[in-house]
Amino acid sequence: MGEAVVKVENLTYSYPRRENVLVNVSFEVKKGEVLGIIGPNGAGKSTLCKALNGLVPHFYGGRIGGKVVVAGMDTMKHTVAELSTKVGLVFQDPEDQMSGLALTVYEEVAFGLMMLGFPREEIDARVRDAIKKVGLGGLEGRSPFELSGGQMQRLAIATVLAIKPEILVLDEPTAQLDPIGKFEVFSVIKKLAEEGSTIVVVEHEIEELATFADNILLLDEGRVRAYGSAREVLEKVDQLRKYGVDPPSVTELTYILNKEVGTDFEIPITIEEAYKIYAEALGVS
Amino acid sequence: MGISLSLLKRTAVEVETFVQRLDGRVKFLYFIWASILVYIFYDFILNLIFIIVTLLLAIYARVAKPIAMTLLVIIVPWIAIATPILSLPLGFPWNKTIIYYIKFAGYEIPVYLEGLGWGITWPLRIGVCISTAMLFYLTTNQARLVATMFKMKVPFRFIYMLIATFQLIPLLVDEANTIFQAQLSRGLRTDVGIIKKLYYYLALVIPLTLSALNRVQIRAIALESRGFSAPVTKTLMYEAEFKWMDWIFLSTIIVATIVLAYVYITYGYSPIAGLEYIWG
Repeated sequence: MGEAVVKVENLTYSYPRRENVLVNVSFEVKKGEVLGIIGPNGAGKSTLCKALNGLVPHFYGGRIGGKVVVAGMDTMKHTVAELSTKVGLVFQDPEDQMSGLALTVYEEVAFGLMMLGFPREEIDARVRDAIKKVGLGGLEGRSPFELSGGQMQRLAIATVLAIKPEILVLDEPTAQLDPIGKFEVFSVIKKLAEEGSTIVVVEHEIEELATFADNILLLDEGRVRAYGSAREVLEKVDQLRKYGVDPPSVTELTYILNKEVGTDFEIPITIEEAYKIYAEALGVS
Repeated sequence: MGISLSLLKRTAVEVETFVQRLDGRVKFLYFIWASILVYIFYDFILNLIFIIVTLLLAIYARVAKPIAMTLLVIIVPWIAIATPILSLPLGFPWNKTIIYYIKFAGYEIPVYLEGLGWGITWPLRIGVCISTAMLFYLTTNQARLVATMFKMKVPFRFIYMLIATFQLIPLLVDEANTIFQAQLSRGLRTDVGIIKKLYYYLALVIPLTLSALNRVQIRAIALESRGFSAPVTKTLMYEAEFKWMDWIFLSTIIVATIVLAYVYITYGYSPIAGLEYIWG
């Protein structure tokens, strides 16, 4: 991992009509790292995402304390438009990401680049590249509203990728999708993670998150309750439960076996790890 | 996806006839030009000629159906209701020339030229505006529409507002359907008289308004995140420029204007129908 691309120091934020949505939040994300943010509803996860691209506080107003530096830019000192070239934010509902000005997938991906005044040739090259990356090749001429949920969310990711931001922020990108849609979107996120993209992702699908997140931050009532490597955070089953987060099934199962039956298994956080541990224990190759 | 939402699939018909290929500015000019002329003249036959020419262009461009349907729904009923009210002795103040008597129940009811002319001319004037505007909108691909307005120095924020409004309507219709179904499930009654029905439909207004406001805010956030307000010159993927076909169409408009100016000077404001001018 390289230098820190995101540095959040003692971030405290209140909306104009809601106090202490974030309280003393600190963390950093290094280049090429995937940070997963978990926590119950209302924990402040989405607000934290919006703080990373300056929507908080530039768009919402409110009171803010602490510091958020993204790609060397202090979000307090730069506009959302300036930050949009550094931070790509993908919303929960892909329909929200659509510009309302594009009739085709191609035009939708091109929209952000058009707004930022990129030359036409570069827009074309970037759009084609982004569409290919998310596996929507062949659908360039299709209306965004003719796509399935998974395809539309991948399109939303493509709209952000085209701008080549230094950090990709995904706010519950699979929350509104069916299982196939979730699978499609996770495949794209995993591919991007493997390629070395810096990603901050809010996700309730802990089992999936465990397979590609380097670090995890557990947020509750606007406060950081746990922050560390995916393993350090996810293996603390009691802590997760306390804050209303379901641990991965295999983690929970092993934890219960160790606690109730007295086994001494290493705690797995993914199915692959669990398979290895249980296969060894059972003597199955 | 709802039926109304599917409207978002295409707002302009994607066939490539010369009407579609015409520069948006030329078609917009045709809309303004025709609309102004039908107000300068007071002649329903001239109005009909404009509508027929527009419909012929629309047929060629394969967009005649929505235009014809709109005219049928708005203009025809308007004429059907307005002409009897205005042309019969029911109080239209400019009526004076009797052109016919209708025999009814032993009475002879006069039909007045002024009311008849007014009742036909005005809806047809509106018909010309609607049909030419629809021809412009339905045959101008959205990218070209944006480029056209951009070239006309319309501020980008205004262009966006205009286009987004067109797109927001089907989204809101879809939302209204969802809210309506939700209210029906919660016991909203529809088997009542029209007044009560209207009263019950108020139950849709508040959730729809809130939902619309919410959508607008989310859309604003999404746009902001994608550099909408970046202080740079926006790049458009389509460049609006005049081609020989546009010049020919423009020349036709200029020639027609000269001819109509001559007709106006020589024969007056109602050269074919021969109506006497009344206000409007």
